[in-house]
Amino acid sequence: MGRLYYLFLIFIFLLLSGCSDPGSQSIRFALASTPISLDPRYATDATSSRINRLLYQRLVDFDGQFKMQPAVANWHKISEKHYRFKLNASRGYFADGKRLSASDVQATYSYILDPDNASPHRGSIQLIDRIVLIDSLTVDFYLKKPDPLFPGYLVIGIVPQQVAVRKQSLNKKPKGSGGFDFIAWPDASRLVLQRKTDKQQIEFVYVHDATVRALKLMRGEVDLLQNDLPRELVHYLGSKKEISLHHLAGNNFTYIGFNVSDPVLNNPTIRKAVAHAINRPALVKYLLGGKTRLANALLVPEHWAGLKNAKAYDYDPELARSLLQSQGYNRNKPLILEYKTSSDPFRIRIATIIQQQLNEVGIKVRLKSFDWGTFYGDIKNGRFQMYSLSWVGIKNPDIFRYVFHSQSIPPQGANRGRYVNQKVDGLIERAETSADVASRSQYYRDLQKQLLHDLPYIPLWYEEHFVASRNNISGYRLAADGNYDGLFMAVKKYR
Amino acid sequence: MLRLLITRLLSTAVVVLGVVCLVFLLIHLVPGDPVDVMLGENAQMADRQALREALGLNQPIGNQLLTYIGNLFKGDLGQSLHSRTPVSSMLLERIPATVELALVSLLVACLIAFPLGIIAALNRGKAWDKTAMGVSLLGVSVPNFLLGPVLILLFSISLGWLPVSGKDGLASMVLPAITLGTALAAVLSRMVRSTLLEVLHEDYIRTARAKGLSHIRVVIFHALPNAMLPIITLLGLQLGVLLGGAVITETVFSWPGIGKLTIDAIMKRDYPVVQACVLLISITYVVVNVFTDIVYGWIDPRVRLGDRS
Repeated sequence: MGRLYYLFLIFIFLLLSGCSDPGSQSIRFALASTPISLDPRYATDATSSRINRLLYQRLVDFDGQFKMQPAVANWHKISEKHYRFKLNASRGYFADGKRLSASDVQATYSYILDPDNASPHRGSIQLIDRIVLIDSLTVDFYLKKPDPLFPGYLVIGIVPQQVAVRKQSLNKKPKGSGGFDFIAWPDASRLVLQRKTDKQQIEFVYVHDATVRALKLMRGEVDLLQNDLPRELVHYLGSKKEISLHHLAGNNFTYIGFNVSDPVLNNPTIRKAVAHAINRPALVKYLLGGKTRLANALLVPEHWAGLKNAKAYDYDPELARSLLQSQGYNRNKPLILEYKTSSDPFRIRIATIIQQQLNEVGIKVRLKSFDWGTFYGDIKNGRFQMYSLSWVGIKNPDIFRYVFHSQSIPPQGANRGRYVNQKVDGLIERAETSADVASRSQYYRDLQKQLLHDLPYIPLWYEEHFVASRNNISGYRLAADGNYDGLFMAVKKYR
Repeated sequence: MLRLLITRLLSTAVVVLGVVCLVFLLIHLVPGDPVDVMLGENAQMADRQALREALGLNQPIGNQLLTYIGNLFKGDLGQSLHSRTPVSSMLLERIPATVELALVSLLVACLIAFPLGIIAALNRGKAWDKTAMGVSLLGVSVPNFLLGPVLILLFSISLGWLPVSGKDGLASMVLPAITLGTALAAVLSRMVRSTLLEVLHEDYIRTARAKGLSHIRVVIFHALPNAMLPIITLLGLQLGVLLGGAVITETVFSWPGIGKLTIDAIMKRDYPVVQACVLLISITYVVVNVFTDIVYGWIDPRVRLGDRS
């Protein structure tokens, strides 16, 4: 009886193992987080936004220097508060066969502007006063106040007019005119799109655990994964002959933020001491690697408004100690700071290393990690001394008003550190009203120099992007903001 | 029996209602605003206020609770704050996967635990006993987040027999079921051993042996049925735990179950989803409890007949 029992188990095991075949004709792209919404009027998370770029078209996009460029429409500035957008030949077709038209553009943006629809994107385009349809290809935007960066706000995917008018939800059943058709989204772990040009199917597979994601790539159950792996796993994949790795310098900006209204941290000398105590090159070399670059400002140097050749805060523990001593801190009276971070394991790892580096210069750091909701609530409400986070995919310099203007203290904006500097406010306002690009970019550069001097943020680095793919995948190109547009050209060779 | 069931159902309803109210109040007390998480910092105050009103979050907490309970009686579990999809459809997507994994894991646990427990009981104090209990101790000592990846490395990568993760066919259930089942088997095998040891010294066992029945028949058909009551209790408790979702295993194997949905909803402060998941888990425990009582009656005539009298 015992023998029969074990033979039965072995039989079942062999039967089940015969059912395992990693081959597939789809290009399978592993995701670290599942998309939340395929409705571009509501999607705010990075994964949804990147997938929505494949499904929907937008009026404006950005080039390699993050300058605004036409996507599906060219624009003409008729006056400071009046822009005319005309759709060009690249406008695509919706699933019902209708071609994207100006009425779809008007309906989409009108929907977002309607406060009853509670779109999270309303804030970014609330300077639009009205939208006027001129003809089937032309639409005019009238603004409440001048803003030379206005076209760069029109990056939201365009939905069909009847969807916007009938207030239909596209969360689970998107209807876009982009380069990909929606095929199926049977559950949270699997989303299937199809490329219009050659009917190549792309399957997005959600795999939360980084190790498991890498193992799936090893076994061929997925073909591609991008970012969201610890460095040791990137190295591990790079050592495998069946896997190709590509790296690209990115623009995701990681920083340490200070609460400058805190009685200890409102002292700029203390902030400078902390900056000199952090060994950023070591962090980048050992923790991140690849094409991660040290940062000196929020915008990358190649940005049209980026700060080149900035004077960085070098790692200088002796200088850090002497700055602390000049403020009355020493071994008997150490500086004690509280450092908050989210519960993301990678962020905790960074924070732990920084804690140790600060300890070496005599700063005692109490590290506290919280789940995202609690952490976010704390930093919004100023219940912190220092924290670390990243700004992802920044293209428009309007981020400076949002983050550093004195009128942007939460809940009005993201000036979480309660940083107030009239000179900075003035630079932001002059940049926003500046008519020509040259003077605008100079104001932004001066602004970034001032921020580097005042240190409401310690710039850490710009994280790289990398893609690991099976060797039968070719043509996938990384983008500086980490989007998935490389899937337009990716090709899979079958066995 | 009918009166017993009705009484049980009424007391169950009170317990479930109490749990739902408690969780409702606790989740609203946790720091973090779902409107902030949904809209981000770019949204205007007026937009936040409008969304709070639309979602009913500006109402006093007591009113929100009464509204929620009222909707529950109408069968309306609400809409996810984040994905704006009906919570009921989110649960219906996940329940089958959770039930499948729970049942198969329990089957794996039984397939491991019963032989180990029987071997240990029949060879008490000998090497077989120590080995069997040592194996079961190993099963409970190795955490899921370690065992899962190790099994993947062995069976998926090195041997290439099974898929790494995901829910895609029968084969994809093997590794998560083994991961969960081995931990359950550890506790179960000890229970099987200890209850069998109690029963094996009974007079009816001696009688069965004296009648010339084989060792296996004595253990399987005479000893084990009499040892089952505490084992059934434990199985019921374990099934309840499994049906509540095994978060770590679901995360490691990307299994689309209730556990991960609950944790993600808590992180995002998606109140309707959290409340619905808790409601489902508490009802599950209750149903499993009632089912366990019914199985008692089926297995043990004394319970059935005692009831009638």
